[in-house]
This record gives sequence, structure tokens and C-alpha cells, in this order.
Amino acid sequence: MLTSLRLHNFRCFEGLSVDIGPGLNLFLGGNGEGKTTILEGVCVLLRLQSQRSASLAPVVQTGKKSFGVRGRFEEHELEFRYRALRRQVRFDGVEQRTVGEYLRLGRVVSLANVDIELVRGGSDTRRRYLDFLGLQIDNAYRPALRAYERALRARNALLKSPTARPREVAAYDAPLIQHGQVLLRQRAELTESLAPLAGQAYERISAAREKFTLRFVPGASADFEGDLERSHRESIRLRQTIVGPHRDDLELRIDDFPAAQFASEGQQRGIALAMKIAQADVLKKSGDKKAPLLLIDDIFGELDPERRNALLDNLPPASQKLVTATAMPWRDEIIADIIYELCDRRLRRL
Amino acid sequence: MSRTGGSSSLRRVFHLEVLKRTEYPEAIRDLITQLRQMPGVGPRSAERIALWMIQSRDDKPEQIATAISKTRAQIRPCKLCGFFATEELCEICRDDSRASDLLCVVEQPTDILPLEKTSAFRGQYHALGGRIAPLDHIGPEDLRIQELLDRIARENFSEIIFALAADVEGEATTNYLVESLKAKPIKLTRIARGLPAGGGLESADELTLYQALTGRTKL
Repeated sequence: MLTSLRLHNFRCFEGLSVDIGPGLNLFLGGNGEGKTTILEGVCVLLRLQSQRSASLAPVVQTGKKSFGVRGRFEEHELEFRYRALRRQVRFDGVEQRTVGEYLRLGRVVSLANVDIELVRGGSDTRRRYLDFLGLQIDNAYRPALRAYERALRARNALLKSPTARPREVAAYDAPLIQHGQVLLRQRAELTESLAPLAGQAYERISAAREKFTLRFVPGASADFEGDLERSHRESIRLRQTIVGPHRDDLELRIDDFPAAQFASEGQQRGIALAMKIAQADVLKKSGDKKAPLLLIDDIFGELDPERRNALLDNLPPASQKLVTATAMPWRDEIIADIIYELCDRRLRRL
Repeated sequence: MSRTGGSSSLRRVFHLEVLKRTEYPEAIRDLITQLRQMPGVGPRSAERIALWMIQSRDDKPEQIATAISKTRAQIRPCKLCGFFATEELCEICRDDSRASDLLCVVEQPTDILPLEKTSAFRGQYHALGGRIAPLDHIGPEDLRIQELLDRIARENFSEIIFALAADVEGEATTNYLVESLKAKPIKLTRIARGLPAGGGLESADELTLYQALTGRTKL
């Protein structure tokens, strides 16, 4: 459980300190007040990555060179400082050389309106969805992902070089295959645990007759090495590696129709929610079996009271929740443990 | 004078001092700037070193200056292996008692000393001066790879041991060299990787354990 959060030069906040309660913490405030940034602070503190941007560079407050987040999670003191070429991670005051132990602690699921991109957006959104979960479940995921990305970028740089460098490209095949196979297997396993849970969650929250299915579409077959060899000519023509886990995708279907084209807006939002609920369920079943911390950004505003309750009922009840909303139209319905109002970069407890 | 009046006039004096910042003379500032170019030296250390140099009562700073220029003039890379040498060949390459048919390939000349400390290897070395890293624009032509191939063609090695880093670039560089050499009747090996000495199984990650398993040794 997270009990406190401190932000320093973090996006719009020069300094902000928040006490966080065990159950539902509600943050109220107008647009642009920094509600999402508080949730982002939690995500960066616990996962060392942002739920809303791929890079941490934009998180640094304009005109500053670094940012810092600190917080207390269970009996541990966490601290992360970021500057362009240096990241510093402290666990109980001790600087960490590797992030393994630090990242084992807090696990997070983020629910936000942009999740609809999981259905409508490009495949990178869905790979990020799998990675966000994989990085929290398996210690081997991070090294495999980083090494694969590095080998892929190096290989593509060689394919793009003005003079052909076939022998160097070939030298990068082995690491690409080795780490790529780990990644392919891990993502297939993740999807296997996610798919039934996502289907069930969709059924519960939408109370609909249609069926939602989730399937892993790997970017290479079990014979990744053979695929690489067979695609060689084409990849030289296109000057990039065209098979591999960087082409992985998830296939989302509603009653056998591709959800991106055939599902209604409401159905698409339902799918996105179901996928995130499944993420929370998988986390709850893995590792230390603790319910993950939930960051729920501005979702409740769009749902009617019935759907709001259905959503809350479907999230792990033991989860600590940080919820943002622009207004509180449902004062009588939801009992928040702590309600904060955010105005002019200041938090006021109501 | 009241207490509040006193503190506000104090504040005024303090404020003025903040505006009129006195700095070190330019010569000292230049020295600090020069020192900061050294690896691991930040602004605070640079200032401390500079002040020590200026205030030192003996000629230690001059001795250091002489040592720097003398060493720079004396030390050059060994023509054969790339290690630090004062003559054409380094101490290791001149040592006749070492096995002449074993060659160990490393990335940097600084990788040689840790291997020497183990006393497990008494053969020849070859430092590449880096590894093939397209993202840093380093290709085979930027490394001492041609020198390595010439040396292997010239000398009579029975085994070549690759001791490069166990990361993506180290791996790729090893693959590249193995590909260039595998037609020759020379045994090509790579140093083992796996569990750290004194480490338990539970603390090892999946990849390390996998490599430890596939690279197991016969008892």
C-alpha cells in the first residue's frame, strides 16, 4: 500500500506532497489542474515508467533539468530521480545498481480514457499493454525486452546504412533470435492468462449478449530463425527487420468481427475496460497475490451510475485506488476514504 | 531599534551581497574548467583540486604535471595486442614463458588486467579497442579486427578464446569474428557465463540460469 507521495519539478508541480489512504482516494479539480500528473507520479514512482508517455523526458518541469519522486510503500522508502543521462533509484535510502528489487514492490494498473486506443490505435499500443503487465510479473521480461530492442535497433541501423553490411547484420541475428524467442513466448503466455479474464470481465461490465475475444498474433512463428532467413531478401529491400516480436499484435474481436471496425464506441470503451480489469486480475493472481494499485483517470465522469458501480464491483476490492474526476456528481454513491481538491497547483483535503 | 527592523536591515545587507557575487580570478576559473574535463570530476571536486594545487606548499602539483606529460610521451599501445606499452611491444607480448598458441580476444586493453589477476590464463592477448556497435557508429573497420586476422594468419594459434561482454553488442562482435575465422582449423571458444561465484540459484534471473544450464561442465 502506498501511503505518501512527493513530487519535485514533476510536470506542472514544483513541489507537491500527498498523503494517500488505504481505500479510494479521490482527486477533484478542473481540466489542466494536474490530476493526471499525480497519478503519473505514482506510476513513475512504483514502475519507473509513465502510463501516458513512452519517454520520461517530458515529465521534467519546463525549464528544469531533473525531476524527483519519493514515496512510502508499505514499510519501504522509495525514491527516483531522473535527469537526461542519469537515473538514480533509492530503496530504503540505499542507491540501487539494478532495479529488480525496487520494481518487485509496487504493482500498478492504469485505467484512463485513452485506453480506447487499445482498440482503435496501432499495434504498438497493444504491445505496450502486454509489456506493462509482463514487466510487473516476470523478472526475465525486462532484460529480454531491452536486449531485443537493442539488437533490433542495431540490426535496422545496419540495414539502413548506405553501404551494404551483410556480415554485420548476420552477427546481430543470434542475439535478436535469442532474446526475441523469450519475448515471443512470454507475450504468448501473458495473452493466454489475459484472454479468458478479459472475456469474462467484458461480459460482466457490459451485460451484453455479444462475446469479446482476445488472441495473440505473434510477429514471428515458433521458428523465428527460419522466418528471419525467409524474409531476408524482403528485409534488405525494405531496409528493416520485418519479422519478430516488434510486429506482435493482439487481435480483438466482438462476436468474431474485428472490434476496431465493427464495435460501437460504447463497446470499444467496454473492451478497453475489460482488458484493464483482466490486467488487474492477472496481477492479483501472480507473485505475492496482492491486488495491484489502481490509477483510474477521469473514467467515472463518462459512465452512468449503474456502469460506474458495475466497474467498481469488477475491480479487485482490496485494491488501493486513486481516482480523478472533474466534478463529483455522485456524492451519495461512492464513499471515498480521502477526497482532495486540486486548485492552482495546491491540494486541499475536503 | 526593534527586532523586526534589525532583521530587515540584515536582510538588505545579505541581499546586496548576493547581487554582487565575487568569483575566483580568471586564472583559477580556467583551471577549474580544465579539471572538469577529467572523467569523474564534477564542479565541486574540480574546485577543491584547483585550490589544493594553488595553495600547496611543496611542488607536488608540479610533480603531477611532469608525471602527466612524461607518461603521455612514454606510453603507447602495444603494436601486437593493444595493451599499454613503453616500447614497441608490451610486457605480456615480450614474455617468452607464456604459451604462444593461445590467444584471448578482449574488447578493451583495460580488460586484460582483470584476466591476468586470475592467473588462469598464460597465453597471448588481443584488444579490439571496442565492439561493433552500429548505434554508436562503430563498425569493424574502426576496431583492430584486421590486425587480429593478420596476426592469426601469421602466427600459429591452436585456440582462440573470446572474452567479450555478455551483452548484445559483445555477442554480435563475437559472432562476427567467429564467422570470419570458422573456416580455419583453429579451436574457437568463448568464456563461460552463468552463476556468479558464491551466488545462489534463487537470485539468478532466467537468462543467466538458462546460460548456466546450457554451458554446464562435465564432472
